[in-house]
Amino acid sequence: MRLLEAEGLRYRHAADAPEAVAGASLAVAGGEVVGLIGPNAAGKSTLARLCCGLLTARRGSVSLRGTPLDGLSRRERARRVAFLPQHPPHDLSFTAREVALMGRAPHLGLWSLEGPDDLARATAALAEVDALDLADRPVSQLSGGERQRVFLARAFAQEASLLVLDEPTAALDLAHQVLLVSALRRRAREGGGALLVLHDLALAGAACDRLVLLDRGRVVAEGPPAVVLRPAVLSPVYGTEVEVVANPATGQPLVAPRIPR
Amino acid sequence: MKRSAAARAALAVAVLLPLVVLAAAVGLSTGAGALSLRDALRGHEPDATVLFRLRMPRVLLAAEVGAALSVAGVALQALLRNPLADPFVFGLSGGAAIGTAIVTVASGSAVGVAATYGAAFFGLLPAQLAAMAGAMAAALLVFTLGRARGQLEPSRALLVGVVFNSFASALVLSVEAVLRPDQMQAVSLWLAGTLGYEALPLLAGAGVALLVPALVLIALAGRLNLLALGDEGAAALGVDVGRTRLLAFFAASAAVGIAVAFTGLVGFVGLIVPHAVRLVAGPDHRVVLPASALGGAAFLVLADALARVLFRGLGAEPPVGAVTAIVGAPLFVLLMRSRR
Repeated sequence: MRLLEAEGLRYRHAADAPEAVAGASLAVAGGEVVGLIGPNAAGKSTLARLCCGLLTARRGSVSLRGTPLDGLSRRERARRVAFLPQHPPHDLSFTAREVALMGRAPHLGLWSLEGPDDLARATAALAEVDALDLADRPVSQLSGGERQRVFLARAFAQEASLLVLDEPTAALDLAHQVLLVSALRRRAREGGGALLVLHDLALAGAACDRLVLLDRGRVVAEGPPAVVLRPAVLSPVYGTEVEVVANPATGQPLVAPRIPR
Repeated sequence: MKRSAAARAALAVAVLLPLVVLAAAVGLSTGAGALSLRDALRGHEPDATVLFRLRMPRVLLAAEVGAALSVAGVALQALLRNPLADPFVFGLSGGAAIGTAIVTVASGSAVGVAATYGAAFFGLLPAQLAAMAGAMAAALLVFTLGRARGQLEPSRALLVGVVFNSFASALVLSVEAVLRPDQMQAVSLWLAGTLGYEALPLLAGAGVALLVPALVLIALAGRLNLLALGDEGAAALGVDVGRTRLLAFFAASAAVGIAVAFTGLVGFVGLIVPHAVRLVAGPDHRVVLPASALGGAAFLVLADALARVLFRGLGAEPPVGAVTAIVGAPLFVLLMRSRR
């Protein structure tokens, strides 16, 4: 089933601004991890927000599990897609556990009171990103990477079938990057899906089933990593020479920029 | 903190409710002259009148106003994501002050007479009705000017409110220049916040009226938590950010408007009680809101009792709004130092 289907999206941040997203289409099926890559200002984050309904496209349509966004209530939408922003807030006095519990919000009733089941799910989500030992610490006291994991736990606790994560690995060390990717792959095996905005092309090649390359608001290439991560595709878009070699252990494409020195 | 929000809220209520009862006992037993509780309950005069007509309404009023201002303070601090927000920050103090000043100037004129009749209809004094009307008008003004793209824009509304409050205090200063000394004293006493002796049915009505905004805000508590994640973070979790802000803004304004009508501008309660509660109970609004209602009620009842003791010898009506700050500020600093 298509968890996400976006068609011909167009968006500009202000009436006189250039189009940030200029007719982009993309889809995420159940069981799939899709990477959204591209240079700065290509429109990756904007496209991710359009797919979650956090921005409204000027043209085009977005459907989640077959239902158009405007046919979904906000809460229903939040039960279908969870969003992790690139920069989660850092000045929260809430504890990590309380933040993870916030992910249960779209499932709660009028007085927003969680039950034991919600608490168990939030705890499981914290464990999934190795953040259980942070549970009772205020988020404001955590390091950048720890905070990132707590907000990932919040997204996991939301139990939406689609995860849209904007730069989820930027603050994470290698071990936790691997942990996150395994968690996403496990969720994909269970029928979930993920759309990841990524800058790290090596990670994109290793973690994703499919990559969507965005340039100036348009999709310029799409397909399995081996198809998209080629010098002939990447060099003109990124405006710099790149080399692609195969990882000797896995055969996955490794992208390296050619840096003159 | 592994207990659920409901359990923590229940715990806070279980701890604070006895405190409110204790404060009420202190408030009821404080005043000019000795009071025999036994005589009062048997209906002996003057004890019965002192207890039921004077002290009890006053304690009830202090409790209602303290609760209303504290709950409004919590809501506006969450709404603005600004710990310095107090219940009057959106121009409500300015609007109330203008209303009172105008009615004071107009007393005797046709406008003054009309205000007197209008207020009497609600069982209020003209200055009280004018204060409430002024506060509500200010809230509407701030709401109208503080919008961008059809939504209440907190930073914009805050700016409008602060500018309007400055404008209002300048206006009130100008009006005071033409007032007689006795009128001027009445206005400035009112600006400092004073508790009077209202009729019990009126207080019961106010209590019921305050319950509505209080329940609205407590129902919004979970969403106020999510606002701390930022507009986008809250929206991603299914919160209608615009509607939540709007409801919280008008619920808080209604609570403040009712409080202002009875007591003028009682400062400090709505700023400090929420912070004191957060220091002890953490940031979760599902706990902070009910706890602040009870804590604010107890605090203002005690502050008023103290004000009456302090000013008894001076033969003056105590400005309870000043006593809240004089007593509350050192207490708060102590609490803050003990927690960090």
